[in-house]
Amino acid sequence: MSAMFDLAELQGNILRGYTKKPHVRYLILEVADRSAARRWLASSVSGRGDGVPQITTGDWGPNKPDTCFNIGLTYEGLRALGTPSASLEMFPNEFVEGMTARALKLGDVGPSAPENWPAPFNEPKRIHLIATIYAEKVEQLNEVQERALYDREALTLLGTREGYNFPGDFVHFGYRDNITQPRFEEIHDPDRYPDRQPRAPLGTVLLGHPTNLEGLTWRVPLPAELGHNGTFNAFRVLKQDVAGFEEYLDRAASDLLKHPQVDELLQPGDEEKIGKGLSRRAALREIVAANLCGRWRDGTPLALSADAPDPKADLTDFDYVGVGDSRCPHGAHIRRCNPRGGQIVQRIANNSRRLVRRGVPYGPPYDPAKRDRDEPEPERGLLGNFIGASLGAQFEAMSCDWLNLGLQDPRITGSNDPISGANDPVTSWFDLPLKSGGTIRLRGLPRFVLTRGGAYTFLPSLSAIRFLGSL
Amino acid sequence: MVDASVAKRLVQAIIDNLPEPVPGRRPVHTIGIGVKGEFVASDVARTYCIAEHFNGQPVPVSVRFSNGLGGLEQHDGWSDVRGMAIRFHLPDGTGSDLIATTLGEFFVRNVADFFEFAKVAKREPYQRRHWLLKIADFLRLKVPPRNPYPNETENVDAGALRYANRHRFSQLGIFQVGSIGAPESYARASYHAVHTFWVTAPDGVRRPVRFSWQPVAGVRNIDPADVSRDKYLFKELEDRLKRWPARFMLMMIIGEAGDALDDPTKPWPATRVRVVMGTLTLTEVPKDQEAAGERISFNPCRLAPGIEASNDPILEARRCAYEVSRELRDGCPFRWRPDNANSK
Amino acid sequence: MPIPSDEGWIDRFVDRLPETRLFKLVASWILVPLWARLTPVKPLPGGPHPSFQHGDNVQCMMNLIMPLKDKSPVGRALAALAIAQNKEAIFAGLNNVGTVHFARFVIVGDNICMFSVYDGDFTNYIRDFIATIGSVFNAVVELVEGGEEVIPCEDNVEAFIQWVHERDLYQVPDTATDFLRDQEALNGDRAVSPVNDDLTLLPRKLVLQLRANPNVSLGSGYRAYPGFSVAQVRKHLGVGW
Repeated sequence: MSAMFDLAELQGNILRGYTKKPHVRYLILEVADRSAARRWLASSVSGRGDGVPQITTGDWGPNKPDTCFNIGLTYEGLRALGTPSASLEMFPNEFVEGMTARALKLGDVGPSAPENWPAPFNEPKRIHLIATIYAEKVEQLNEVQERALYDREALTLLGTREGYNFPGDFVHFGYRDNITQPRFEEIHDPDRYPDRQPRAPLGTVLLGHPTNLEGLTWRVPLPAELGHNGTFNAFRVLKQDVAGFEEYLDRAASDLLKHPQVDELLQPGDEEKIGKGLSRRAALREIVAANLCGRWRDGTPLALSADAPDPKADLTDFDYVGVGDSRCPHGAHIRRCNPRGGQIVQRIANNSRRLVRRGVPYGPPYDPAKRDRDEPEPERGLLGNFIGASLGAQFEAMSCDWLNLGLQDPRITGSNDPISGANDPVTSWFDLPLKSGGTIRLRGLPRFVLTRGGAYTFLPSLSAIRFLGSL
Repeated sequence: MVDASVAKRLVQAIIDNLPEPVPGRRPVHTIGIGVKGEFVASDVARTYCIAEHFNGQPVPVSVRFSNGLGGLEQHDGWSDVRGMAIRFHLPDGTGSDLIATTLGEFFVRNVADFFEFAKVAKREPYQRRHWLLKIADFLRLKVPPRNPYPNETENVDAGALRYANRHRFSQLGIFQVGSIGAPESYARASYHAVHTFWVTAPDGVRRPVRFSWQPVAGVRNIDPADVSRDKYLFKELEDRLKRWPARFMLMMIIGEAGDALDDPTKPWPATRVRVVMGTLTLTEVPKDQEAAGERISFNPCRLAPGIEASNDPILEARRCAYEVSRELRDGCPFRWRPDNANSK
Repeated sequence: MPIPSDEGWIDRFVDRLPETRLFKLVASWILVPLWARLTPVKPLPGGPHPSFQHGDNVQCMMNLIMPLKDKSPVGRALAALAIAQNKEAIFAGLNNVGTVHFARFVIVGDNICMFSVYDGDFTNYIRDFIATIGSVFNAVVELVEGGEEVIPCEDNVEAFIQWVHERDLYQVPDTATDFLRDQEALNGDRAVSPVNDDLTLLPRKLVLQLRANPNVSLGSGYRAYPGFSVAQVRKHLGVGW
């Protein structure tokens, strides 16, 4: 990876996925003492390897680090560190207010409402800093955590969250994830696969660079060393109801079996194409699962292969035009999150709300064989990071207008995202497209994903960490 | 669950608060007028609800308009909630009822609230506020309580206000009662069924809805200064229908996830999808008023297949209380459909 | 019906007192300022009431009243010209943003007003419009008091959106009691029952609120076909979206 600017200035998790480090731990921290916390920040970029873990930058040089360590600061955290008020005032509203104040825009309502979040997220004002450790082994997480918390004067640990990337990049609902990220202008990345989407301007992910919206720039908090090359992160703890999801697939498949147009969805005899040895019902389950997401569980996009998963299909080189438009549901999860170049109501917004996503599953994988219906399922879900230079223009815009309202396409307006949306079975619906151009409407989708915590954080550049450390 | 004894207590609480009981008549909405007419569903009604009266075929109806006050005294000109109870007569001889009033939202959420309200909002002597106190009100930028109506010596206003000041859920309903006024005609007021119902569409989809009647002639109240006009609504309606039928549009508002489905004190926002379900045409005031209105025993839960009551506790309480009241006044028993007969 | 005998001339006089010129003068010069000091009221925020529900997020209203710097026929003509010269840009923006039902520019007194009905989140709406017709915003806002601080809007996106939001009128709810709920929410009062309210204070609360928010939108808007987005209407009418 190389760039027109110094990657060592950026925190490494912004442009890198750390895919070889499957264990991830989040330390939710409160500033205990202002000057000690500043010293802690200064040490984290001091280059000395013995004390506070060193912030991993975007430039790894010749040697890959054994563990990675990155931080994000909330608005309360910046205040606690004594950031000058002239600088604080330049941060955007949504960041200042914090994630809990934006609950309605994010669909954090009912059981997902911040009032129902467990500790430490029940006290959002105390969350000042979220540090993330990435490692190959759990022992390394412990070791880095110990070093990070060594100076008890500096930071108080409010809580932790820990995740583990399953082999093969599969996540809890059984889909392959971590498939695609925006590619950026000015950054050369030889490992990237083909992608029909235009390269995102650097301002998508870093403050102080041209943004996706022509001629628009986001305000960079001053002094420049604080704001420039910083970015924002929506950290989310998203509980996933895998058992409920699988049950819904059962129910939808049973309903479809009775539907007069079911053969259009699945020609009798084609079950094998969906998966080896699948019954008709099991094949229909997979069809529903694929449509809800927009990808088959192996990652094949429906826009390229709507009838069956295709191992030969490219995972990223597609768009929602022509066949890709008609065969991928307009309401499918990945299409709602990123409609790519497809027709959307807000033409100006095509490609403008893209995000860098870094997620890791938490909790044990779901195993239907081990399920005990009398016992509550262990909590599992996703620790998600949604990174962009403007939380308002990217993460919130996507969440509010696209995931929750379905404003981008009149055929889905008034429905919620089928997988991550705050659905109520009483009113929820989802249309499965048929080859003929018609649709079969599924109803009764419950809420599969609950928000259990989160925070908006600022991911400062290395200069910014030095600046804060020297306040 | 509302059992028969609770329903009896409910009705008794209402009767106990009357100036004088009127055996053999409805305890409240005592004064009313029966009207005949016809309902024709809109062309889209059947796509939302499979109930027979929404299939587009004209359905004969019986409507009873009423003044909300209990007792035999008729004060048409007083500010008061008016009722519009309707029975759709279905071809198989059964009926489907829709009971509405000019009050948009109710003032209690459940039976327990109601008993508390009945305790607090008793009839109390009502007098003109002394002019000095009125001046004190003006100085505090308050509006003094209205002057008593002619011959009005007691009412529940003070108690209702006390209750509203304690319970925010009740404030909208009680505030609306206080400012509701008197219509120029029964055919010139909007009526709301208040509760949520579930309607089933031909494709099996169930939707939570609320119903309102809107007068084609428009909503119009009399000048509050004309409060002493005690008897004009019956004659007005008879005269009106001799000249020309009176019409109402039936509007159905579709609730969204998150709307109050079981709480009649909570309004639904004006931003909900609103469907025209049909037009009611009122044609005549029959001579035999006993048969046309007084003997009919309406019940908000007598519903044709395709419409169901929500879990609104007030709606459930009304189902039982209306039956108790009917028995007390020896009202005409009416066949319940087999599938909701147990609701008695 | 005879008037009750206990009503004397003084009762009749007091009943009519609020309509007298004297009382109105006393109220507006003494009573209202006095009560505003004794029971201060904060201005209520403008724009639609925040809501997660679908119907509340389509056909939202924006009501902007922006005082012109130049309060003369010339100033008004400049504003008229700014709109007229940008007709092409406005139509193109309307189509490209795709979520606006109606938008109107109106001059009232020495204010230029922009009233619109739009779908979705307010900040997205304004941001998308900055991207398409930022130059029109600049041309209009330049003529408005305080506008120079937030133009060019393309370089001051966050500040411009905030500036517009602060000028968006408070939307008085459809019911009197929801207005009380707005005041309580602003004051962080989330009590339900039992409470110790005084409903008879409603008139004063309204008066004082309208002192704090002199320009307001009355009611949440009266919609003929609530619950549908621009694109849904266009699709059903068969005119494309």
